[in-house]
Amino acid sequence: MAATTADGSKVVGGGEKSNVDEESKMITLFSSDGERFEVTQEAAAMSQTIHHMMEDGCVDDEGVHLPNVGSSILAMVIEYCNRHVASPDEKEDIRSFDAGFVNVEHHTLFDIIRAANYLDVKELMDLCCQTVADSIKSKSVEEIRELFGIVNDFTPEEEAEIRKENQWAFE
Amino acid sequence: MSFRGMLREMKGEVGAISRRGLLRPRTPSVRRVAAVAPEEATRQGCCWAELPPELLREVLARVEEAEPRWPRRRDVVACAGVCRTWRGVVKEIVRVPAESGKLTFPISVKQPGPRDAPMKCFIRRNRTTQTYYLYIGLTDALTDDGKFLLAARKGHRPTCTEYLISLDRSDTSRGSHACIGKLRSNFLRTKFTVYDAHPPHAAAGFSNRWSAGNYPVSHVHYELNVLGSRGPRRMRCVMHSIPVSAIEQGGTAPTQTGFPSSNDNSSASLPFFKSKSCRMDSFTAPLSIQDQEESKLVLKNKSPRWHEHLQCWCLNFHGRVTVASVKNFQLVATDESAPTNQEHDNTTLQFGKIGKDLFTMDYRYPLSAFQAFAICLSSFDTKLACE
Repeated sequence: MAATTADGSKVVGGGEKSNVDEESKMITLFSSDGERFEVTQEAAAMSQTIHHMMEDGCVDDEGVHLPNVGSSILAMVIEYCNRHVASPDEKEDIRSFDAGFVNVEHHTLFDIIRAANYLDVKELMDLCCQTVADSIKSKSVEEIRELFGIVNDFTPEEEAEIRKENQWAFE
Repeated sequence: MSFRGMLREMKGEVGAISRRGLLRPRTPSVRRVAAVAPEEATRQGCCWAELPPELLREVLARVEEAEPRWPRRRDVVACAGVCRTWRGVVKEIVRVPAESGKLTFPISVKQPGPRDAPMKCFIRRNRTTQTYYLYIGLTDALTDDGKFLLAARKGHRPTCTEYLISLDRSDTSRGSHACIGKLRSNFLRTKFTVYDAHPPHAAAGFSNRWSAGNYPVSHVHYELNVLGSRGPRRMRCVMHSIPVSAIEQGGTAPTQTGFPSSNDNSSASLPFFKSKSCRMDSFTAPLSIQDQEESKLVLKNKSPRWHEHLQCWCLNFHGRVTVASVKNFQLVATDESAPTNQEHDNTTLQFGKIGKDLFTMDYRYPLSAFQAFAICLSSFDTKLACE
């Protein structure tokens, strides 16, 4: 759905801009690596961070700089917001979209969560946190550590106790 | 300068900072300097260790909420074993059984049960090995595969019987670190003492020499009733570790929060298993002043009614007990200080037969699974019968 305009900036989704009404007013977002994204204000407002900036009049003609979000992730977040704003009532479609949306590499999911947290997009955070929680299901301690790249920082004595604890739990 | 001008300058600053890249504090899992767009750093190695604490909590809270029942509840225990940070968060999220109605960590079996509705468990007996296994039900059915909680093995000694209660179904041996307590009878098997291997109260008030593990926490006493052996026997349990105030409005029962570390020097000697005598122990652990002054909770069995039509003694077990047996009982809290010796309505512990070598055990606050199990074992062991 992305199209490149004459000046090289990307227009991501947004639908038609034919009528002058609130929903089709656009706002420019800049990713940390300087890429430009044109988004409807309605979609952008799904981010509480941006929403407050718009309300408080902190957004000028240039747009909003997002130093904590890179272009590839920002594009994904915008795609999510556009989709949810476009047809919020079509629950089945949305669910299907969401399932596909989070079907990504684990480290990409991490980036999306961080971005959603920074931008304060509650629905996206809920979706991602639930996906991470689901990825933990039925895994052993070692498997969880491997999936998340977490280092075991217990002492050998603590580790022995934890092993017994898990032995009982997996009995 | 205009406000907008200042904003533009600030944004320029922030943009410049992001272009230069910020050096973030290193953790072992970060393998690159963040001089590129934030997400590129994560592609090299996983930065999940840097997940903001509020998000980690959100994720783990969802895991905890999604799995209230076993066997899936083991996911919560697994999360608590990943690293220190995860363990801290999980321990904060998981509430004690008295509040949540859920068993999670092994220590849950030593903690008071739910206040609202009983925890439904069942006991399987293996006559050959003289071992009893306690499970919590996975469903609301009378019995299912169950999740293993505790095992108890009967040991015969010249002047008494003794049951060693363990968290490890394959290890009920003396001296095992998995043993959390025991039940010991007197010679006549009419009086039993439940011993906790660990202090029932928090460490305050107890000196180190008592942390070895031989704490009498309750006494169970069986008697014939006025009809002698023609009527159901009477049970009286004095819960030394639970004050009467625990069942009063706003009261709380002592709750252990963890097992002492096996590193503890005092537990290495394990005098728990050294006593040779089987005489009825008097209460030997030092009592705090508070203990001595507070009345202890007393549980008695509900008196069954004689059903003339059915010609039997009847108790309403609410469908949880289906086979008549002298072992079946319901214990309720009794206020012995009250003039009429009132019984409370709520059944604190219910035990009864549902099949060959199969029994249900439903317990609630302020009893723990361990205490309830020990009391039920005494019902197996006592020799007072009913014709």
